[in-house]
Amino acid sequence: MDNAFRKIDIDAYDEDVLQEEELFDADPRDPAQVLDDAKQRQSAVRSALARSDVVGALNTVLENAPYGPNVEEAKTVTLQTLLTILNTTKATEIPAVIKALSQDGQDTLMKYLYKGMAMPGWGDISGSVLLGWHEKLTEVAGTGCIVRTMTDRRTV
Amino acid sequence: MAPEVFNIAQTPITCHAFSADHKQVAVSLNSNDAQIYTRQGAAWTPTETLSEHDKLITSIDWAPNSNRIVTASQDRNAYVWQQTPDPQTGKVTWKPTLVLLRINRAATHVRWSPKEDKFAVASGARAIAICSFDPENNWWVSKLLKKPIRSTVLSVDWHPNNVLLAAGSADMKARVFSAYIKEVDDKPAATVWGSKLPFNTICGEYASPAGGWVHAVGFSPSGNVLAFASHDSSISIVYPDGPAIYNIRISSLPFVTLTWTAEDTLVAAGHDCQPVVFSGSEAGWQGVGSLDDSTSAKAGAGPRAGPGGVGRLNSLAFSTFRDADTRGHTGAGGTPSDTKLLTVHQNTITSVRPYEVRGGRVSRVSTSGVDGNLVIWDADNVSAVAGAFGGLRV
Repeated sequence: MDNAFRKIDIDAYDEDVLQEEELFDADPRDPAQVLDDAKQRQSAVRSALARSDVVGALNTVLENAPYGPNVEEAKTVTLQTLLTILNTTKATEIPAVIKALSQDGQDTLMKYLYKGMAMPGWGDISGSVLLGWHEKLTEVAGTGCIVRTMTDRRTV
Repeated sequence: MAPEVFNIAQTPITCHAFSADHKQVAVSLNSNDAQIYTRQGAAWTPTETLSEHDKLITSIDWAPNSNRIVTASQDRNAYVWQQTPDPQTGKVTWKPTLVLLRINRAATHVRWSPKEDKFAVASGARAIAICSFDPENNWWVSKLLKKPIRSTVLSVDWHPNNVLLAAGSADMKARVFSAYIKEVDDKPAATVWGSKLPFNTICGEYASPAGGWVHAVGFSPSGNVLAFASHDSSISIVYPDGPAIYNIRISSLPFVTLTWTAEDTLVAAGHDCQPVVFSGSEAGWQGVGSLDDSTSAKAGAGPRAGPGGVGRLNSLAFSTFRDADTRGHTGAGGTPSDTKLLTVHQNTITSVRPYEVRGGRVSRVSTSGVDGNLVIWDADNVSAVAGAFGGLRV
């Protein structure tokens, strides 16, 4: 039976189709500026970690995290920065650090944990760290936090 | 008072609507028919079947004063059912009247307006049909609210002035429209939502905080406040003249339905299987507790399986697999009761509605769920229990 018709993109023939970018408010910043920001934060985080101020470092990364299209490089840089923080934090300190974050921060952190686990190859390096943070974060912020990670189209 | 629990069916109850005297309830058991149950003592017995739709019924509403039922279905139709005596036998039966909805996708939600001279049908056709009766032709005609809806409308709720309509949609927005029909409505008085209100005026548009579908909307009893629950596990309360929006992110699974019980209180329920009470004022809102007192009555039931306290992932499932892995235990790890939730509802609550009003407050609410249960709760019996609900923060 001919079922090639199932592969036709019928949305292409719909003038009123709902576009991906209509689903969230775009980041007002310029992509180049976002990348600059991300790199600057990298050094800010390093100095915060040198003072062993984990909460401050996390807040720096999670605030105004890059999202949306055209900022892939900034996203990768931010993820790398975040992983440095996660890797250097002692397991016993994690719950206190998470509790000190704002709800926005917790939601964004969860997004990055899932992103980290989704990156091919990255899981081998920091998989157990990510899972450890995920467990602790879920204990504090609940399954609602995971649901928000899944629904939010402002992907990091 | 303990909640009254009725197991109506072994199938999900998609929606329910009580008659004005609470002696009858119309439910859709996830099928093409609407069933009317009549209360006999402590049990509900099926008395009538309203069959006319040829796809799943998605929503039912029963007008308390005019005693008419409206049903909406995935077959893109709505019917208004009225009790009429049969001309030959004189037997009173429910007679359907077709409504010309003019939508090309499923109807998802239906509600009578407060004066019961109009009803609104939400649909997957990115439109809301506002239906009013045309006495000349003896049928229900509709006018469509279309702009600027970008996706399926999941719920609607009427403002007490009979003109304004709130709608929650899968494009992650809750909106307030004017559904003013010249032939039916008197000119509405100015409200906090606006003064000039021709049909399809957009009086407000509010996005869910983390991009979740807006599952449920509701006006407060005065109509001056709007609440909506969205799939990003959050509930938002909008004061249009503030303009302030209070957003409460919850730590459990999303709500899919809500109802106000007073100007300062509302009840929301959904995938977490228990009705949760929120209260507040213009100064702020917070979660108060659950109507489902899951600790005291069944305290002996051991660790909570299923939607437990904040962030405790289901450790039961985890330990089952761990035992299977490390010790070779298979199955039979726990007794059958391990799969029973500690909440009254054993599955998602599909609909919560006001049941009884006393002294200007809704004193009891009713819920129906995917578990086939219909439950009537005392709306003031809020248990702010730790553990089951302890981590709810604002």
